[in-house]
Amino acid sequence: MPQHDDAIKQPKNLSPRVQWLRDYFFQGTNRAWNNENNVFTTGDKWDRCYDELTYYIVPETKSFFQPFTTGYVAAGKILPGEAVAKDFYKRSIVERKALYEKEVIVNQMPKEILPGDLLCGARFNAIYSMGLNKKESKEREKLIQKTRKEAVFLIEHGYGNAGATSGHLVPDYAKIVRSGFKAVYEDLQSKYNALSEADKNGKKGAQLRAMMTACEIPRDLAAKYREECLKRAAEEKDEKRKKELEVMAANLAVVPWNGAQDFYQAIQALWLTHMLVMFDEKYPGPGVSFGRIDQYLLPYYEKSVSDGMDRDFMKEILGCFWVHCNTAYDAQIRVGANQGITAGFGQLFNLSGMGKGGVDMTNDLTYLLLDVIDDMSPILEPKPNVRLHKNTPEKLLDRVVDMVSTSQGAPFLLDFDERSMAGMMREAKKAGVSDLINEDNVCEYVSVGCLENTMPGNDRSGTVDVNVNLLKAMELTYGNGKDFMPFFDPMSGKWSEQVQVSEQTGTLAELDTFDKFYAAVKKQLQYVIKRMVKHYDNTESIRAKFNPTPYLSLLVNGCAEKAKDITEGGAQLGFVTIEGVTFATTVDSLLAVKYLVYDKKICSLEELVNALKADWKGYEKLQAQAQNRAPKYGRDDDQADALAKDFMEFWADETWKYKTTDTDRRFRPGMLSWNYWIGSGYILKASADGRNENKFLSNAICPSNGADINGPTSNSNSVGKALGGKAEKGDYGQYLNCLPNGASHTITFNTSVVKDPTHKEKFKSFLRGYIENGGTALQINILDPSVLRDAQAHPSEYRHLLVRVTGYNAYFTSIGRELQNEIIAREDHKGF
Amino acid sequence: MLILNYQRMSTEDGPGLRTTLFVKGCPLKCRWCHNPESISPKPQIEWLAVRCIGCGTCVGVCPNKALSATEKGILIDRDICLACATCVEECPTGALEQKGKRVTVDQAYTELVKDEAYFGKEGGVTLSGGEITMQSQEACELLRKLKSRGIGTALDTCGLTTKENFDLLFPYVDVFLYDVKIYDSEKHKEFTGVGNEVILQNFDYIAEKVKGTDKKIWVRTPIIPGATDSDDNIRAIARFIKGKYDRWDMCAFNNLCRDKYDRLYQDWFYSKTELMTSERMDELVRIATDEGLTEVYRSGATRLPKRSE
Repeated sequence: MPQHDDAIKQPKNLSPRVQWLRDYFFQGTNRAWNNENNVFTTGDKWDRCYDELTYYIVPETKSFFQPFTTGYVAAGKILPGEAVAKDFYKRSIVERKALYEKEVIVNQMPKEILPGDLLCGARFNAIYSMGLNKKESKEREKLIQKTRKEAVFLIEHGYGNAGATSGHLVPDYAKIVRSGFKAVYEDLQSKYNALSEADKNGKKGAQLRAMMTACEIPRDLAAKYREECLKRAAEEKDEKRKKELEVMAANLAVVPWNGAQDFYQAIQALWLTHMLVMFDEKYPGPGVSFGRIDQYLLPYYEKSVSDGMDRDFMKEILGCFWVHCNTAYDAQIRVGANQGITAGFGQLFNLSGMGKGGVDMTNDLTYLLLDVIDDMSPILEPKPNVRLHKNTPEKLLDRVVDMVSTSQGAPFLLDFDERSMAGMMREAKKAGVSDLINEDNVCEYVSVGCLENTMPGNDRSGTVDVNVNLLKAMELTYGNGKDFMPFFDPMSGKWSEQVQVSEQTGTLAELDTFDKFYAAVKKQLQYVIKRMVKHYDNTESIRAKFNPTPYLSLLVNGCAEKAKDITEGGAQLGFVTIEGVTFATTVDSLLAVKYLVYDKKICSLEELVNALKADWKGYEKLQAQAQNRAPKYGRDDDQADALAKDFMEFWADETWKYKTTDTDRRFRPGMLSWNYWIGSGYILKASADGRNENKFLSNAICPSNGADINGPTSNSNSVGKALGGKAEKGDYGQYLNCLPNGASHTITFNTSVVKDPTHKEKFKSFLRGYIENGGTALQINILDPSVLRDAQAHPSEYRHLLVRVTGYNAYFTSIGRELQNEIIAREDHKGF
Repeated sequence: MLILNYQRMSTEDGPGLRTTLFVKGCPLKCRWCHNPESISPKPQIEWLAVRCIGCGTCVGVCPNKALSATEKGILIDRDICLACATCVEECPTGALEQKGKRVTVDQAYTELVKDEAYFGKEGGVTLSGGEITMQSQEACELLRKLKSRGIGTALDTCGLTTKENFDLLFPYVDVFLYDVKIYDSEKHKEFTGVGNEVILQNFDYIAEKVKGTDKKIWVRTPIIPGATDSDDNIRAIARFIKGKYDRWDMCAFNNLCRDKYDRLYQDWFYSKTELMTSERMDELVRIATDEGLTEVYRSGATRLPKRSE
């Protein structure tokens, strides 16, 4: 294949400074500087630094839970608790945390500035002591052994994974940019002073004292970086750079302790404040998100514009900000492939979107940020989501479609306001929090991580904390409350025993109507959800007791008022999101059982289950019927989609029944599958939709791979219907949505859909239609020639892939090989 | 109605984003036809090798014993096959497809309005062929229903039908996608089986009726090597349509339908023909613009500079 430079999106328009920083970042392990984890331990042999709870949702790390726990302690630099404070162990856990982390970041970690960098705040990745005493550590250890056992069981038996995980929220950065930590400190002080003596000596007092200590961290760290700037400025020979360093020092004299006075200071404040959240949680970037930066930074942008700040300089500041966000990946730079740049951490921000009353909020800063995204991409962080709605202006849509057409995967996700807001309104109703989420403020919703919707500044919704394989319920149904097949444990080399784990919902012979079968599946799903919730709840209690994050608590409204750490449920809005995984695979399996066993009576339920046990070997015709003849979700087939909707409502309603024991957080539903649909595909057995073992499951709310044979619009219509569709009186306007978290939807398009201005207009129509009929969030991929090559190799997985040339259309897999090759060659050239 | 399929999110059948209904049966028999399955006004069965798992179900279920399993795959004896579609029903993989399905106007309507939200100001529904005017009563009813819902409509026609049919459909059509392939009638007959007198008369008739309305005529000319791609032909068409159209699309020959002919056991005259070159397409557009025509566009794939695999 000839290689064409224009085939892959390249960064552009970067100033030498930003180009250098970007290139330097991508040098990875060859860099002299990096932001890999700094490890600090008290040196006590019971000390613990690494919190495995946070990694339960990363199933591939399950073998490392124990090695990391002891390994970090052994490898760490020793910083005894007594060196931090004389009476260290006499203090509460939360105060110890605050004191220890303050010492680590302010005094122990290096303060560095990269050449040409315009922002301060470089090293923040650290793993450091929890500061527990021996008794506490032992108590925690005992609890952890239990949760670890259950976590591993749930992963290995295909239930899914769950654990109290960090990040995944939008801290109230706007407040810090506006009035600085000083205002937060003063507020804490007055709240502390207002406490009774008993409270001061109790838990509340300890929490507020810890938060005040944490509140000094950004002040003291800024001072250190300021000294560093001045020192470097004094040594600097280049007059221009000297000046820059002086301005950086001057900025740090103001922010983040005080409110920002201009755009530059606002970005500096934002970065320092943000990086300290990742430091506080000891886990870089997992969905710690920025919110609507084109809204809350707008006054500073406008101020700087009127002061005469050059647009190019603003882009340089933002370019530096982009590079800083990516250094989160350095945490494990020497571990794993691709220099640690392995996954999206999800430092997300939202652009545009509606304001109160449906008015569009796009502004000059929105476009500036889109320019930066376009110039910097491809790059993983930060992750932009552009919010679209009925009143989105043509100009913004034009810009969005232009950017889509020049990249392989769109450099942003699209959020759809009406459907998203409907989900948040449903949440308000279900959880009784209409005082905090209502018609007046629901437009302020933000997304975290990938696309998970929450409110800004006062909401921890624990997205991606509980990931349930819905399909597991079908396995338990086939087994009448037991695993219908044993699971192999590669560590012990043994097969699991098939024990009665949940209630008996009927033998296969007893399930003689589809209604009975479906009712059994629902009962087993209740069990699966309940078990996952219980496991999560245990991890949540452990975190609440031993792993406070007093710094993050400063930035989440509710914590200071309640004098409660965010890990204890201090946020005004507290939810835990159960992400439903394998939705389409499960719905298609239900549809296949209905079609094969009950409607067409092609086989008995026993025969079908035997086929699954045999991984369809010897049952090829039945498998083909399951794959090709049974109805599927994703084709805008009203009957199939009605079952999808019913199943969606059922499991979604199930989640609302639960609350955490110690932290008063209600569970809520969502659909983001991260990479679990791939990994769990190797655990769950063959499924009734015709899927073999060791094949991928369906991703989030997307139809199963290859099922959407009627194209993107029918696919999108099915997604909208599964979420609830529309009604005269919806949750928001006419829109219904039973998933407040939202649902991840990806569609791949042929290059030709955006090939010229006329087609771009047509693509805009598609997006406008998606606002009406589709889901909450859409990732657009533009067909890559490698997809076509894969389709040649695996035609059955690409039945939906349409090739359209003027006056002719055909499924790619149904045309001859020679012509397929020609089409691939054209895609390489972008030649249609 | 006898239909072939619905094409949703269509970008190539008129303005905006559209759903196109392709029907079966055409009065022309263009030698280059890209959709040969659309010509016959009867249902036909096709076998798709890529989907077949060789289970032999179809051979067994055929009530007329029209199917046989051979080394080359499933063979359909088209003299015996009644297109009853029993095999299509029973095939576990969808390797047997019925080309041509009868639906009611209401069924078609239900399907066509599903994407209403995506049509926007420009888009809508296109009725295409075969030749839609061969089912003019149903087409009229369908278009009337679509119009009364406020959905934009386009009619893709080869022009070979009666004036009465056009009169019937005219009130419910926003855009006529009108094929003018070859100006010389004898040559037209050679390549399509029919002379073009009626087609050209109808064109003038429609053009006259469209005057003073908001309706549009989009002329479409397939550019087929050796058939329609001569300077003379393009110039003659240009002179003929001048002042009577809103847009002219020259659609370059493509060869992707080769396998469709194989599946119908038909030889295709153009199976070895190379695509048009980009330069030649540009020249043809220039001929039109030299004649003073505007809104002339070319589309379709052209020959790659260098074949690469």
